[in-house]
Amino acid sequence: MDEARLTRASLLAESSLLAVVGADCSDPPNLADQATSLFLTVHGDGSVQAFNGHVDLGTGIRTALAQIVAEELDVAFERVSMILGHGGLGPDQGATIASETIQITALPLRRAAAQARRYLLELAAVELKVAPENLHVNDGTVSCDDGSNRFVGYGELLGNRHHLLRLTDDVALKPVEQHRVIGRSQPRVDIPAKATGSFTYVHDMRLPGMLHGRVVRPPYAGIDAGDFVGRSLIAIDEGSIAHVPGIVKLVRIGDFIGIVAEREEQAAEAAAALQVTWKPVPSLPDMDDLAGTLRANPSTPRLLEDKGDTPKALAEAARRHRRTYLWPYHLHGSIGPSCSLADWQPGGLRVWSGTQNPQVLRRDLATLMGLHEGQVEILRLEAAGCFGRNCADDVGADAALLSRAVGRPVRVQLTREQEHAWEPKGAAQLMEVEGGQDAEGGVTAYDFSVYYPSNGAPLLAAILTGAVSSTPTVLQMGDRTAIPPYDYANRHIVCHDMPPIVRAAWLRGVSSLPNSFAHESFIDEMAFEAGVDPIEYRLRYLHDPRAIDLVKATAERAGWTPRTSWGSAGSEGDILRGRGFAYALYVHSKFPGYGAAWSAWVADVEVNRKTGEVAVTKVTVGQDSGQMINPAGVKQQIHGNVVQSIGRVMKEEVSFTEKAVATKDWGDYPIITFPELPLVNVLMVDRQSEPPLGVGESAAVPSAAAIANAIYDATGVRFREVPFTPERIRKGLGIPEPLPAPSAEPARGRRSRGRLLGYAVAAAAAGIGLLSNFTPWRSAIEPVARPLPGVYSDATIERGRQLAAIGDCAVCHTADGGLPLAGGRRLETPFGTIVTTNITPDPDHGIGNWSYPAFVRAMREGIHRDGRHLYPAFPYGAYAKTSDADLSALYAFLMAQEPVAASPPETRLAFPFSLRPLLAGWNALFHDAATFKSNPEKSALWNRGAYLVEGLGHCSACHSPRNRLGAEVKGPDHLSGGTVEGWDAPALTALSLAPVPWTEAELFTYLRTGFSPLHGPAAGPMAPVIASLRDVSDDDLRAMAHYLADLRATRTSEAEAAEQAASLEARASTSMPPSLSQGARIYEGACAVCHAADGPTLWGSRPSLALNSNLQAARPDNLLRVILGGIDTPAYAELGYMPSFAAAFDDEQVAQLLSYLRSRFAPDQPAWTDLARRAGEVREILRHERLTRADGGS
Amino acid sequence: MVTKAIGVTVNGKGHELALPPKTPLLNVLRNDLELNGPKFGCGLGECGACTVLIDGVAARACTIPLAGVEGRHVTTLEGLGSEGAPDIVQRAFIEAQGAQCGYCLNGMIMMVKALLLRRPDAGVEEIKRELRYNLCRCGTHLEILESALLAATRLRQHG
Ligand code: FES
Ligand code: FES
Repeated sequence: MDEARLTRASLLAESSLLAVVGADCSDPPNLADQATSLFLTVHGDGSVQAFNGHVDLGTGIRTALAQIVAEELDVAFERVSMILGHGGLGPDQGATIASETIQITALPLRRAAAQARRYLLELAAVELKVAPENLHVNDGTVSCDDGSNRFVGYGELLGNRHHLLRLTDDVALKPVEQHRVIGRSQPRVDIPAKATGSFTYVHDMRLPGMLHGRVVRPPYAGIDAGDFVGRSLIAIDEGSIAHVPGIVKLVRIGDFIGIVAEREEQAAEAAAALQVTWKPVPSLPDMDDLAGTLRANPSTPRLLEDKGDTPKALAEAARRHRRTYLWPYHLHGSIGPSCSLADWQPGGLRVWSGTQNPQVLRRDLATLMGLHEGQVEILRLEAAGCFGRNCADDVGADAALLSRAVGRPVRVQLTREQEHAWEPKGAAQLMEVEGGQDAEGGVTAYDFSVYYPSNGAPLLAAILTGAVSSTPTVLQMGDRTAIPPYDYANRHIVCHDMPPIVRAAWLRGVSSLPNSFAHESFIDEMAFEAGVDPIEYRLRYLHDPRAIDLVKATAERAGWTPRTSWGSAGSEGDILRGRGFAYALYVHSKFPGYGAAWSAWVADVEVNRKTGEVAVTKVTVGQDSGQMINPAGVKQQIHGNVVQSIGRVMKEEVSFTEKAVATKDWGDYPIITFPELPLVNVLMVDRQSEPPLGVGESAAVPSAAAIANAIYDATGVRFREVPFTPERIRKGLGIPEPLPAPSAEPARGRRSRGRLLGYAVAAAAAGIGLLSNFTPWRSAIEPVARPLPGVYSDATIERGRQLAAIGDCAVCHTADGGLPLAGGRRLETPFGTIVTTNITPDPDHGIGNWSYPAFVRAMREGIHRDGRHLYPAFPYGAYAKTSDADLSALYAFLMAQEPVAASPPETRLAFPFSLRPLLAGWNALFHDAATFKSNPEKSALWNRGAYLVEGLGHCSACHSPRNRLGAEVKGPDHLSGGTVEGWDAPALTALSLAPVPWTEAELFTYLRTGFSPLHGPAAGPMAPVIASLRDVSDDDLRAMAHYLADLRATRTSEAEAAEQAASLEARASTSMPPSLSQGARIYEGACAVCHAADGPTLWGSRPSLALNSNLQAARPDNLLRVILGGIDTPAYAELGYMPSFAAAFDDEQVAQLLSYLRSRFAPDQPAWTDLARRAGEVREILRHERLTRADGGS
Repeated sequence: MVTKAIGVTVNGKGHELALPPKTPLLNVLRNDLELNGPKFGCGLGECGACTVLIDGVAARACTIPLAGVEGRHVTTLEGLGSEGAPDIVQRAFIEAQGAQCGYCLNGMIMMVKALLLRRPDAGVEEIKRELRYNLCRCGTHLEILESALLAATRLRQHG
């Protein structure tokens, strides 16, 4: 798009130009003057550029405005390009809010086009020597009516000069009858580029020499008011990001922290790793009692209307009704987190931004950066639909600060978590109504108060850096549609203006949506009280003829049948049907404001009387938009508003911790999805000769009340709090909780919790063993020269390669990203970190000078060539079983590898574990150096499997429990499950918790591919083991599978296993609908995409949670590790990856999710307890592990 | 850290990328190959804005590291067609106006493309199920569904 590159200088350089400029410019107009704003330019080639101060937020105004210009100027639509929100050139028309664009800011543009046409016709009249009345225009070509075939184009008429016209009021606009562009559906101009990837969103903008920035936000997520804001940072540990490559600068100003790096992922990694100490964050007021909190928030009442004598009418009323309606905090929820680029140059700042307020942002940035407004240039590019003030402006300031710090252009991308947590929320709102009815049921009095805690959300960086005070201002915006459309005789309407409680600003429909929820719910209730059909009842109080027409037309379109009691739509089984009506005129802008389009809804719902789930099945929506510039665009806006608002009303609600916003991802904050779409029937009233009205918000406004009224019709219960979640409906209907309480008793045959704790204690002694009284050193074996190549045959080396794969040599002896077998991997043990050694054949750093006998001694006895004892993290206990032939092949293989002349750091355990000689005693107690003895009663296959599993495969090193001295427990508990590096290694015996018993075939598939359809993927420390088995023959893997399957007392057939799996899947899929609780919603929003059995086909595996033994385990650690740590190194890439959710979920959310997963997928197991605490601990452990890994890598 | 070049084919063109194996594929596509079709929406696999095809199967590029696509074929929105010559699915989305802000559009088109590659006769329920975890904030769902159905119909007519 040229739009972002257009400058005043480039216009001045054009030889022919006509420009219509703002009326407030200097006299005579001067294009070079920075203050001269442009509305329209016509160029020598006949093209047209038109300017509007508002921007396209995805609603299609770019197309509609171009239609208006094409119409009035009489040029083809394609000739017009719109320049929107260009801070330096276009008019300053304020923020793109309140449906004002078409209704208000388009008017001067329209006049400018008409004025330009009139002027061009005058030029043509002179040129063609005919009176202007005798000319006509077709696509910018003016011709004579006299049939003389003389014509001239707009471009030619300009000649080689600039024509500057000052915008006037006195031009005639085209009458509707002559319209040929306005009123015709026009495909959106932006979609072809967007659909093919060639459109440049702000996210896609790149500058030469650009760096990448990320910000680190304070812990008071989403709060921008209070003394502590901007003053809470205590210290930053710069060392915590020392390991991250590419860091250019760490920037700190007050509570603002940013990191600039060469590459985006480097900045992201550093931002995630940076350790910052903050002061404790003060508590929020009680956000669970929103109504109470809103009432208590300091406010100033503002009387909006006082008609008649409301107190008196109330006093005299036959019946009085007090009602409270409550609206939650909502997100704008742009699908693209905000992004911006800034280029700081001495003397000026350019910012590429997706803002909806280019002019405001320009002023704010000037203040923040200490510049004059003229030194700041905002280049506005499209971003993801924002529906109000999101973080688009904030990120511009972030980019500006970081660019200034490094003197280069910087692009800052906010994370999803930051956008969710910090965007100024759509405010919560409280509406209190007291109404009076006379004996006939008519409303005689209406006393209405609204509480709306929101303002314009000052630029976040300005507050965090202290450039702007963190004492909140108050904006008067709670009054939108606060006056009901119903002409009750006595009305008393008050708006309580108040500062925000959490960061908040306007969101689509602003306060009008909640206010209409109250008005329309209340009148509906009064109608039923009076025994009158709710539409008929409304019409008694509605005098606006266009409103009346719309209400009637919409009711008719929906096939509304009058009703005077609920239950009119019937029921079927557990499903109760209902239908509700609501009407609203969206009144926007400063009070008393203007009306945008009129809208009315008939909503049909189905309520499940057992689960409390509500489905909106159909919406009939009528709208009077006045003149429709682009009817297709209007319809799309109606659709969008209907669909989005259903999600808001049914599902959406920001959650809070005691101190801050908790919502950080789509799991915690679900929005509407495709399967939830209702049928939408749109009625657009034909009013082409009326002025055009804003259509970007109106159709959302009746949503909540129409749905609430429909739920009433279905159930007979009024719901006065949004959203209408199943929990709320269940509570309202008095339905018992459908969640089966997880059984308190562990199933029989399963390992109990107490026993597992025992293992944990034993595991604390695992990894190495110790004993006190022996201190013998073993003798060294003389170094030898490395065997010459050719000593061993290729066949032997190949056999050794396979054996090394079974023995996982490379798994432990290769560092993350390091050279194979060169050591350096850090193994976390309860005694400290053991660093694996270099086993390449380098004579100085590896085992190049080890003779074969030295190698055999190490493998069988755990003794280094030099006589030192090796820690039994090296599994010589198992390796000892290996045959001489195999050991020699293994030796041949290792000696044939590329030597690496580097030593990893020494293992340094703390005393007493540092005393290696103690291991001699340990060996005496626990070590058996005998080779494998085959069992003549078993088959050759079994014996081969046993040899590999118990020998080189050393499966028991992880899968057997260990005693207090860290030695593997033998006997019946052999292979009955152990712990390794914080993971539970499941039992391979009959004690296995796998929901479906392992069969030989599944074991083979799992060992071969890393994934068993009936069990899931290998993760954690098992993933590299599987990867290592890649080189092992099918025959050997089959033997291992055969032996492992035999460890279970009873064998299960393939068919039985498949059947069991199917029934478990079925049970899990029907047991708990995914919308029942917050944990369920998190699962649905974050996990189901990859784990639900009926999810979309995505690259990678689809592990079934119903079949996964980690959900059955006694402790949640494996699950916590996967959720908080993700899976970034699967056994095979095609198994797929899993992101870490550590930044998205706090401990409480993890606990909600895990409780749900446990009760849905392991209903026979006892609930996990204390989950939030354990989540916190595992989070800490993972952080520590990452740090040690990072140290090792540096 | 040892960085060896990782080979991957993107939109039919081979690349050898000397980047750490854990570099997110989405960053590689956008920042190194300047393919802006796939979008960053969440980085958590939740929204679908970053969808690409890996060997013809839909994949969420934000959760997959470069190492995951070594030796594979990646297709982005740009790889389907261009503004002048859009692919059948892109054309359907243009005609049925399946976008408002269009930020989700990449994911919608790529998911529909992958579905129709696999099941050319997919019906509306199947499309809804397939798109269930692709989020759109603008509420363009109705137009998106219409676009997907149009693409399916066209595909059946013209193969
Ligand atoms: S950005 Fe990849 S799924 Fe959201
Ligand atoms: S069109 Fe805006 S997010 Fe889908």
